[in-house]
Amino acid sequence: MKNSKIGKILPPLIGILALFAAWYFACAAGIFNAYVLPSPQKVYSSFLKMVKSGELLRDIGISLGRVLKGFGIAFFIAFILGMFRSLIPAAGPYFEYLIHFFRYVPPLSMIPLLILWCGIRETTKTVIIVLASFFPMYLSIVKGFTGCDQKLIEVGTSFGYSKARVFFRIILPNALADILVGMRTGLGYAWRAIIGAEMVAASTGLGHMILFAQQTSRTDKVIVGIIVIGFVGLVTDRLFGWLIHRFFRGMAGNGWD
Amino acid sequence: MAGIRLIGLEKNYQVEERMLQVLRGIDLQIPEKKITVLLGQSGCGKTTLLRLTGGLEKPDAGEIRFDTGHKTAFVFQEPRLMPWKNVWGNVTFGLRKEEIDEDAIHRIITTVGLSEFTRAYPSQLSGGMQQRCAIARALAYEPSFIMMDEPFAALDYFTRGQMQKELLRVHAQTGSSILFVTHSIDEALTLADKIAIMENGVIKAEVEVPMEKRQRDLMDNSFIDLKRKILLLLDR
Repeated sequence: MKNSKIGKILPPLIGILALFAAWYFACAAGIFNAYVLPSPQKVYSSFLKMVKSGELLRDIGISLGRVLKGFGIAFFIAFILGMFRSLIPAAGPYFEYLIHFFRYVPPLSMIPLLILWCGIRETTKTVIIVLASFFPMYLSIVKGFTGCDQKLIEVGTSFGYSKARVFFRIILPNALADILVGMRTGLGYAWRAIIGAEMVAASTGLGHMILFAQQTSRTDKVIVGIIVIGFVGLVTDRLFGWLIHRFFRGMAGNGWD
Repeated sequence: MAGIRLIGLEKNYQVEERMLQVLRGIDLQIPEKKITVLLGQSGCGKTTLLRLTGGLEKPDAGEIRFDTGHKTAFVFQEPRLMPWKNVWGNVTFGLRKEEIDEDAIHRIITTVGLSEFTRAYPSQLSGGMQQRCAIARALAYEPSFIMMDEPFAALDYFTRGQMQKELLRVHAQTGSSILFVTHSIDEALTLADKIAIMENGVIKAEVEVPMEKRQRDLMDNSFIDLKRKILLLLDR
């Protein structure tokens, strides 16, 4: 038991330590200018200062709120549209091509229009995160909903199930694995969009913190921001994974292992 | 005699440009509380006939008359269990929450020999156990007829023999009415009260099997004669 626990923790730990060691020695050897690549000690002391002043925690809280809000809205729309396509296949062509058109439009290119339409407050930021995380979720959800084995659906039909009952008792649980993979991808994309979202007249949030640090030439703060985003993203990912594991225990692969 | 009466059933399928006549006027009486076997080669239309009788598809012509209630359940060639539900969830799959009588479900699960696997998921069961679970799912639905489409075809020889015995035992216990499709003459002789021999979309002959099922010995002379008779009918 103890051995397997160590075996689980050790390899990732070695990977992380190796990265930090390479960083440390590269700085100690003076290969890079301290402005281009500040040392780990410098980044750590900036990190401590930012924690003490409370700005870091506040930024994390605000960005996390934006990410979850955008992600939640994107998931809701993707789920409803996916459900629509499954229940009324004839409805698909009406919006399918539009969705794929916008799938190829980078959310950042929409910023000028979004500022005109939605202003420079929270709405624009949320819309950017929604645009970034919607498409991967939509694709996975549609794949899950439309890829159900007809033979399983026929079991429902043979028991006299209605269309809605077939959906909720067969198609939806069968699609769950795909939906969860889509949510995981979508959550990652939502975090990756935070810089774009907080480019728009933000005065708070991790994205804003990084952009502001860039303007003030504080590379150490930029690195703190990057590490914190990656870390918070990883923690939310694991948290979702843990929740899903609790709720869908015993079910075949859920994509969050 | 109560049961299902099939009158002049016809069914065609459009395959590319061609019209394929699968059933060309089927007349058959399927008695209740008995095992009726549809026997024939692959492609003779027996599965189509089963699907029409069970209501999964509609006939192009003809009529299906139920004397005993209209509730049918299927056991397919594959178990078709829901992988996200355990044995209990799969057995009760045809029922609404308020229809579930826990004692009755426990009895059915015990009848098919899965009482120790109630909480197991399909992926944890062997092929034979999965098919038994599928049979329990059909029984739990309390149908007036159970439609079985080569349910043991995918199983190995030994498991198949064991499952046939169990089906006979379950049938003796529950008195269920069964329509059973197979291409195996031995399986038909083991299970059937009545065998309907199909060829090219018609019922070629009906054979009653009068022998007591518990003591059926396919090596017995009477069975060998019966088998010869069926083989001749299928050959001609």
